[in-house]
Amino acid sequence: MLVKRRSGTAQRTSLAATVAASTIAGTGQIDRRGFLRNSGLAAGGMAALGALPFATVRKAEAGAVDPDIEVTRRKSICTHCSVGCTVIAEVQNGVWVGQEPGWDSPISQGTHCAKGASVRELTKGERRNKYPVKLENGEWKRITWDQAIEEIGNKLLEIREKSGPDSVFWLGSAKFSNEGAYLYRKFAALWGTNTVDHQARICHSTTVAGVANTWGYGAMTNSYNDIQNAKALMIIGGNPAEAHPVSMQHMLRAKEHNRAPFIVIDPRFTRTAAHATDYIRIRPGTDIPVIWGMLWHIFENGWEDKEYIRQRVYGMDEIRAEVKKWNPEEVERVAGVPGDQLRKAAETMAKNKPSTLIWCMGATQKTVGTANVRAFSIFQLALGNIGVEGGGANIYRGHSNVQGATDMGLDVTSLPSYYGLAEGAWRHWARVWDVDYEWLKGRFGSKALMETKGIPTTRWFDAVLAKPGELEQPNNIKAFVTFGHGGNTVTRMPEMRRGLEALELLVVVDPHPTTFASVSDRKNGTYILPACTQFELAGCRAASNRSLQWSDAVVPPIFESKDDYETMYLLARKLGFAEQLFKHITVDGTKPRAEDILREINRGALATGYTGQSPERLKAHMDNQADFDKITMRATKGPCAGDYYGLPWPCWGTPEMKHPGSAVLYDTSKHVMDGGLTFRARFGIERNGVSLLADGSYSKGSEITDGYPEFTMAVLRKLGWDGDLTPDEMSVINAIGGDNVDQVSWMTDLSMGIIRVALKHGCVPHGNAKARAVAWNLPDPVPIHREPLYTPRRDLIAQYPAMDDRRDFRMTQLGKSVQARDVSKDFPIILTSGRLVEYEGGGEETRSNPWLAELQQTMFVEVNTQDAERLGIRHKSDVWVYGPEYNSKARVMAFVTNRVGQGVAFMPFHFSGHWEGVDQRSKYPPGTDPIVLGAPVNAVMTYGYDPVTFMQETKVTLCRIEPA
Amino acid sequence: MARMKFLCDSDRCIECNACVTACKNEHEVPWGINRRRVVTLNDGMPGEKSISMACMHCTDAPCAAVCPVDCFYTTADGVVLHSKELCIGCGYCFYACPFGAPQYPNTTNFGGRGKMDKCTFCAGGPEEDMTMVEYHGYGTNRLAEGKLPLCAEMCSTRALLAGDGDIIADIYKERVVRRGYGSGAWGWSTAYKNDRAV
Amino acid sequence: MTSFLGKLFPAILMAVFLLTTAPAAYAQLDQRVSPASPSTKEEVELYEQLQGKLSGYVSIPDGKLATLVQPEGREWRDFRNYYGRIISAVMMLGMLALLGVFYLFRGKIRIAAGRAGRTVTRFMPIDRFAHWLTATSFMILALTGLVLSFGRPLLIPVIGHEAFTALSTYGKYSHNFLSFPFVLGVLLMLVLWIKDNIPEKADITWIKQGGGFLNNGSHPEAGRFNAGQKMIFWTIILGGLAMAVSGYMLMFPFYLTGVGGMQISHIVHLLGTAVMVSVIFGHIYIGTVGMEGAFDAMGNGEVDLNWAREHHAGWLKTQGISTDTRDGPSKVPTGGGPVPGLGQHAGAD
Repeated sequence: MLVKRRSGTAQRTSLAATVAASTIAGTGQIDRRGFLRNSGLAAGGMAALGALPFATVRKAEAGAVDPDIEVTRRKSICTHCSVGCTVIAEVQNGVWVGQEPGWDSPISQGTHCAKGASVRELTKGERRNKYPVKLENGEWKRITWDQAIEEIGNKLLEIREKSGPDSVFWLGSAKFSNEGAYLYRKFAALWGTNTVDHQARICHSTTVAGVANTWGYGAMTNSYNDIQNAKALMIIGGNPAEAHPVSMQHMLRAKEHNRAPFIVIDPRFTRTAAHATDYIRIRPGTDIPVIWGMLWHIFENGWEDKEYIRQRVYGMDEIRAEVKKWNPEEVERVAGVPGDQLRKAAETMAKNKPSTLIWCMGATQKTVGTANVRAFSIFQLALGNIGVEGGGANIYRGHSNVQGATDMGLDVTSLPSYYGLAEGAWRHWARVWDVDYEWLKGRFGSKALMETKGIPTTRWFDAVLAKPGELEQPNNIKAFVTFGHGGNTVTRMPEMRRGLEALELLVVVDPHPTTFASVSDRKNGTYILPACTQFELAGCRAASNRSLQWSDAVVPPIFESKDDYETMYLLARKLGFAEQLFKHITVDGTKPRAEDILREINRGALATGYTGQSPERLKAHMDNQADFDKITMRATKGPCAGDYYGLPWPCWGTPEMKHPGSAVLYDTSKHVMDGGLTFRARFGIERNGVSLLADGSYSKGSEITDGYPEFTMAVLRKLGWDGDLTPDEMSVINAIGGDNVDQVSWMTDLSMGIIRVALKHGCVPHGNAKARAVAWNLPDPVPIHREPLYTPRRDLIAQYPAMDDRRDFRMTQLGKSVQARDVSKDFPIILTSGRLVEYEGGGEETRSNPWLAELQQTMFVEVNTQDAERLGIRHKSDVWVYGPEYNSKARVMAFVTNRVGQGVAFMPFHFSGHWEGVDQRSKYPPGTDPIVLGAPVNAVMTYGYDPVTFMQETKVTLCRIEPA
Repeated sequence: MARMKFLCDSDRCIECNACVTACKNEHEVPWGINRRRVVTLNDGMPGEKSISMACMHCTDAPCAAVCPVDCFYTTADGVVLHSKELCIGCGYCFYACPFGAPQYPNTTNFGGRGKMDKCTFCAGGPEEDMTMVEYHGYGTNRLAEGKLPLCAEMCSTRALLAGDGDIIADIYKERVVRRGYGSGAWGWSTAYKNDRAV
Repeated sequence: MTSFLGKLFPAILMAVFLLTTAPAAYAQLDQRVSPASPSTKEEVELYEQLQGKLSGYVSIPDGKLATLVQPEGREWRDFRNYYGRIISAVMMLGMLALLGVFYLFRGKIRIAAGRAGRTVTRFMPIDRFAHWLTATSFMILALTGLVLSFGRPLLIPVIGHEAFTALSTYGKYSHNFLSFPFVLGVLLMLVLWIKDNIPEKADITWIKQGGGFLNNGSHPEAGRFNAGQKMIFWTIILGGLAMAVSGYMLMFPFYLTGVGGMQISHIVHLLGTAVMVSVIFGHIYIGTVGMEGAFDAMGNGEVDLNWAREHHAGWLKTQGISTDTRDGPSKVPTGGGPVPGLGQHAGAD
């Protein structure tokens, strides 16, 4: 027998020797690891080598083997979802050679999911875009960056000249860092359009609209970690086991440590449901009946928190009236859930407080998305669970920085920090950017267009194909520039393909070609610019819990790729507004500095409290992760002592004020300087004679012991606190206010003096109001059930109709007229869609990663066992899935399972590269085709938009399935 | 000396496959070789349980017993390793292994499947510790660096435990007592029945 | 042994069934949970007594990875390491011993009438080609196979691990490649000789008389092939085909079956080896030291007339030759050349 030698000296630092070698036996391949081992770049000059451009390193040839090559450790954040897991990268000679657990991260504590554990592959990037290419008569042709920027810029300027700035659709990314997202929003503003959007539109725009309209801010109220304080959990329309796996560690700890009931409400028996104590199967599209059905039991039994409602909630009586209709019989008739099942769930949530409610895209991607979110919010308000540790509305955002990108206003409805688009907002940001408001206005088609919501990403192709007069803007969209966005994530793909083909210019800036570049039959006018991943640039990203995490570049951009900031700089320079865009941002050569962008954000994003998170503070947090408590997320020692991890916004005032961030929103049990918060006074101080301000509730230590409006100079004067302002602050306020200084508010006072004074008196700058159970400004002020546009329950339409056809976002939105068409005979099966753990979003990036692609090699549709038997479908055989619009169809593999209920089918949405059964691999630029291709579910997904945000409906439509 | 074992807590495992890709990442395991995988029992039905499975480093390992060329050995830590120098790719270990751990580069090529590859508990192979030769053949040697297998270190829900058998058994038992339920240590009765305290 | 196989085969058959009907069929998972609410660590059950195979779903398209635990592996291991070795060793060594004893007791079976000095053609070149093709490849297959079965205890202590790996690597390649000539030879023999190997009444007499081996001078009449030779023929044909099928299953693993089928293939292959090697021992014995004049049949194809008269009178009759040894060589009809054998007939038919 052989006996294994052991080097008795076990030390973590002797890593260098191990990470050096490179192949796995038998393959004979040498990867960069092994290659570098032989590269002869000896230890010692590591600092210099670390900065060596990749291309240089690659050229180095084999040399003496030095087992002692030093390893640099760099800390970054996973780019695959909003949990924000820390990635520890080991870098040798500018190449990412190893990945270690980030033990110290308070959020992930060393862990990853399949995607996070494989991110190193992204900087190997075998299938990434390596250099700029353009489509010439249907052939991809390599070009230089200079040529690309020149040609793209000229075409954009030509379109601007001919059709106006609103004819360009700027699509950004939830994968941008905050700095990238902010810069892109500012870029679009200086270009002169509000048609700038990103993935939040198609994931949680309804959440943002719903919760912001309820209590002030559009974000997860608590945190993943805080779920460990929950005594009961309810997840509706979410599958964190696949979409946010690392969050499950916190949820399962709550389940185990607190013996907390774990309720999952979903049409599909998900991997999350497998861990539930109670699983409730509902018919897709009946979230409101289910929530109202539970609230019915709560009100009926008096389980609601009456004192909380009295002090902190406006309009609950109107909710009671609506809920009254949803007795157990009606809920069972509509949603198919037995009454006692809901009674038990309601009682569980009411009697195991604090109880938390978790939701995700199963609830938001609906024609009633905003109403769903509002119903959930109201449910938690009724139980008094908002503003409580262990309670809250824990909304799991999608992409790694979808929260931050939304906060940065990468959105057709707002400037950064949710200032909106009114003149005051523009003037505020013009001051922050130090550009002339009049000049800025001149960049737009008109002042009206400047203050009108742009065209959202769910409908851009309708704006390309619109007939004259259909759009409330001078011309159709002619050019589409997309940064970091999948092309198969929006419904109605047959129509989108037509839109793509009608564009004059398509520019894809992405590490991968994306479906946009490959799905249509375009022959010319298409460019792909290689973007690097977020691992190749510096910047901060907001996790779902609003914590900002700074990450350094792990390696410099590989191949010829460039980071987002530089690409934007090059484009802005060509388009003629680089000077204004980078007025207070240092540009090294053509590379803007991320820290400077963040400092500009800190100066202007007052309304969300994105002001205290200076680059220095954020970097200190990353360097001292170990000092933070793993549940409260508060540092107990070290240089960040007292801070919450990542300074979750709002982090009020200047960095020097040392606000710790707000871990739990609206938590009145803490002093505002300890992260305490009240509901935001955002909707006035009274309505119909009823006060909207809090009644006898206030955050700990507040000198005002009742509700109060948001702070303005007028309020300060009334309170007699204006004397607390320093002369410097006063001079800034005077400069901003001009002849109406009283109007200067905490949101516009760039000196942050008003905020400072409010905090000094223990008050929250945004005021202290009630949350709104009734949101009178929304199409449905009280959430009501509406049957999906494509429903098999035609019998319910008369009672629960879709919304009337209407107009918004410069175009029409159909409701009733679509619902009126009865297709349920030919398309009898409900089709819903969702995620797989191995893939993310459109999936081009993850399907190109062999470590992930190997695990899911075939697109499939889950069909219920009984349906399959009836339809003659065998497990793992091919089937056609037909959609009710555009004669759409997709050929996929049948997965016969009882995971879905009878009459329901499920398809994952990460696949692309097949169209109507035809493989499209040849349409990708050579060498960039993802390993795994498949039919996109959105090829058969249909019309349907939320009235508030134009969120697309991806969770309920109808289809027909036949053996292929 | 420690006796290294794996323990998968199926009440925690959510089939996120982090263990699988962590392994691929750490050792640059090629496509088609699955040193670790997650198996779901009762998929899509009540009672669904997922278990991450790889070589369990059995006591009295069947692979070692049936190997015609005697290429297996057990380290002082109880890790079952093998020599690719000696392996002839006959496939016997796969027939004997209760857990489907052994993998072959060419599972169907005529005549030769290549050298067997399997989970090393991140402990390399018979070559000198932490050398390129060892890495080429077997992947990194984390154990020699004082680290544990990356699959377990990165497990999203801390379902997969790796380390000294007594310690991880203790962690698991405490967990079960605290939460009040448990499904046992999958595969232990098969892999370590001889270790069992009677 | 029987109880072992009795346990093993149903289990394996079950496994094969599950694997071939999977993945629609999920193995039953017993919903065992440890003590309902363990209150102390001692109550926590780590060692679940898993019964039977556990199979589930795995997203990787490699069906055999969906098996979580296959306890049959343990039984296969017992067979490979213990029962299989004992069975084959007992059979092979037993046969050798038997032959040794037989030789001591009976000695070399002589041609009773002495050599006639005149020969008849018993096997045509094609016959001999088929025989020797099969024979040589069989020898190497058997040896290389036995190296894998018995090399570890017998050879590694002698030549060491490295040399043994080299030996078995080449052995494995030889084994794989020589399977093709072997199978060809077996098929050829089947075509050439099946006609003369169909069992007939005379075979019963032959068997009753023990083939005349036990007592001198008694020669039950036989056709071209006597019952003993027929048994060898069918052993080689059927055994060879079983070896071929099981061998190719092993050579192209998991094409047609899961791990259970692979285990069965291996067991069949090993048992087949034991049977065939033992039978071949007997065959070689009779063909060489055991019987005077027998080797010539496959040596040069010409057998002594008297040998043929004594052992294959029936066959000789069909050749139109007197079966009386006293007739002497003069009765051979054709003047000079060898007597045409069956091979030619078969060719002409």
